[in-house]
Amino acid sequence: MAAGKLPLRVREKRQGMATLDGTGGALTLAYRQDSRIRVGRVAETVGRSLIYLVIVVLFLGPFIWMFFGSLRKESEITGYMFPFSWNTIVPVEWTLQNFLDIYGISEAGQKGGLKFHIGLMNSGLISIAVVSCSLVFNTMAAYFFARLPFPGKKYLTAFVVATFLLPFEVTVVPLYLVVSDLGMRNTYWSMIVPFFASPFIVFMLTQFLGTIPKELDEAALVDGANYWQILWQIVFPNAVPAILTAALIEFQFIWNLFYWPLIATSSLDLQVIQVMIASQTTDRTIYWGRTFAGLVSAVVPVLLLFLFGQRFYFRGAVLSGMK
Amino acid sequence: MTAQAIAGLAPRSGWLTLQRRRYLFALVFVLPALLNFAIFRYVPILLAGQASLYDYSLLGGFGDFVGLKNYVHAFEDDLFVTSLLVAIKFALMKVPAQVALALLLALFVSREVRGMGAIRTIIFIPVVTSLVVGSLLWAMMYNKDLGLIQSLLGVFGIGHTAFMSNPVLALPSMVFMMVWKEVGFSTIIFVAGLKGIPAMFYDAAAIDGAGRIRQFFAITLPLLKPVLLFVVVTQTISAMQVFIPIFVMTQGGPFYATDAIVYYIYQNGFQYNDMGYASAMSFIVLVLLVAVSGLQFKALKGNVDY
Repeated sequence: MAAGKLPLRVREKRQGMATLDGTGGALTLAYRQDSRIRVGRVAETVGRSLIYLVIVVLFLGPFIWMFFGSLRKESEITGYMFPFSWNTIVPVEWTLQNFLDIYGISEAGQKGGLKFHIGLMNSGLISIAVVSCSLVFNTMAAYFFARLPFPGKKYLTAFVVATFLLPFEVTVVPLYLVVSDLGMRNTYWSMIVPFFASPFIVFMLTQFLGTIPKELDEAALVDGANYWQILWQIVFPNAVPAILTAALIEFQFIWNLFYWPLIATSSLDLQVIQVMIASQTTDRTIYWGRTFAGLVSAVVPVLLLFLFGQRFYFRGAVLSGMK
Repeated sequence: MTAQAIAGLAPRSGWLTLQRRRYLFALVFVLPALLNFAIFRYVPILLAGQASLYDYSLLGGFGDFVGLKNYVHAFEDDLFVTSLLVAIKFALMKVPAQVALALLLALFVSREVRGMGAIRTIIFIPVVTSLVVGSLLWAMMYNKDLGLIQSLLGVFGIGHTAFMSNPVLALPSMVFMMVWKEVGFSTIIFVAGLKGIPAMFYDAAAIDGAGRIRQFFAITLPLLKPVLLFVVVTQTISAMQVFIPIFVMTQGGPFYATDAIVYYIYQNGFQYNDMGYASAMSFIVLVLLVAVSGLQFKALKGNVDY
């Protein structure tokens, strides 16, 4: 291969990408003759489009099947399954009956004792309660770790970081013993109190607060503000993106929680939506339409939040992956 | 603190100096979180340690002190050993598959070309949906009589195939679903890792005549190693604790083929009402996983500096 002499276009592109991309293809192509470039481009575009298609079908396909399935009649789902055709996925006749059933609005739903609206309400209530508490207590703790003087602070940091080593699912049974002893079994509290602070979020926010200039709080201290005022009036407004990321991660975590609410509560009125869809509808029921409708109900809130706040989710994923 | 505040404090001499007052005020900020971690993260482990030494049931609470009986029982219990092996098998299948696929996807989606943002979003959608939804959805797709996959297989002339009720296919099918669900998470982490590699390395390599594949093995992989190792460690620990898909898709069957350890602990504690034994097993697995991640982290630390 020829040394040096990268065409300007390629160089610009590569700098713009700022990485990665010895794998980009642009570089290899640039060394070829003009006509071959055009052929190569077409081949690359076709290849890339194929990969796009596979990704879309594989990752979105199941959800599309689920959404359409929730909007059709039971007889249609079974009737059009074989042989595979357009209507295996897409409804012939659209209906909201499944949703009316699972929310106990229709007569059939009431007879079946379906109360998915309660599950949604419980999940929403618990998630919002946890997110609110966690915003206050995690931010306070992060402010402490990032800013406040305290003797032996590194031991406290170790106390927090060491919890990362504790595997969550394995400690669920032990957690159950504690929550029972505190008399919180089968209450809303059992699903809120254990989560009002999160070591991971404290850690994440601490790192972010460390990047806010210290001069800001020092100036406020001189002006006579105390730590409490500095936190809420100076640090908090400067940390909104990080705090929003934390709130979204926390909401998703609590909304999607299953194992803990499954064992912490036994009464139907306290069931969260995740437990409800797993216990009241399965792949073995005869009502696939209702099951689909239940799944859609459990997915839509987090899906909407994700679609509107994507960059926060990606940032959160990267931070948790790097912790 | 203002001069006024200091003046106000001065007479209260003795133990509560200004310095200590400040520390106390600071402590107020962190105390709620520390209490939470103590009560809901550390105390459970102590309590489980205690419960594991007793006959302990959900309804009856603490019964007789039985010493190490529950631990001895665990090592004599074939199902405990089997369930540990199932968890290990699950992790051994899932982690390499997920890491390899995530790496490929990351190389693809980290390119800043048109439409790639949408692709990143699509790959991440299964990540934000709950594992219960993912498990149920795939259970329906795998369903032997009515599953969408059966319908698709029919296009190729393949008849109804049992996935979740087949002892050989059940675990791999579950792994497939889990990789589908979580690969986007690892992908995004790898994308961030890839963006951290300076472009000049590739420019230099290209000038030296290294091709794309050579560049991947000589630059990308070594520089991505810390991120790669981290993902492997965390994914291994989480894969070993698989629970939800088992609960939803197979209930540990067929013939214990998917009865991984956390589900077996759940069965003993909440279905057979033997909390003492469940605690003992939790304790063993906890020690095991902490040791594994501790070791892996140590290995990782040794590998970061080069």
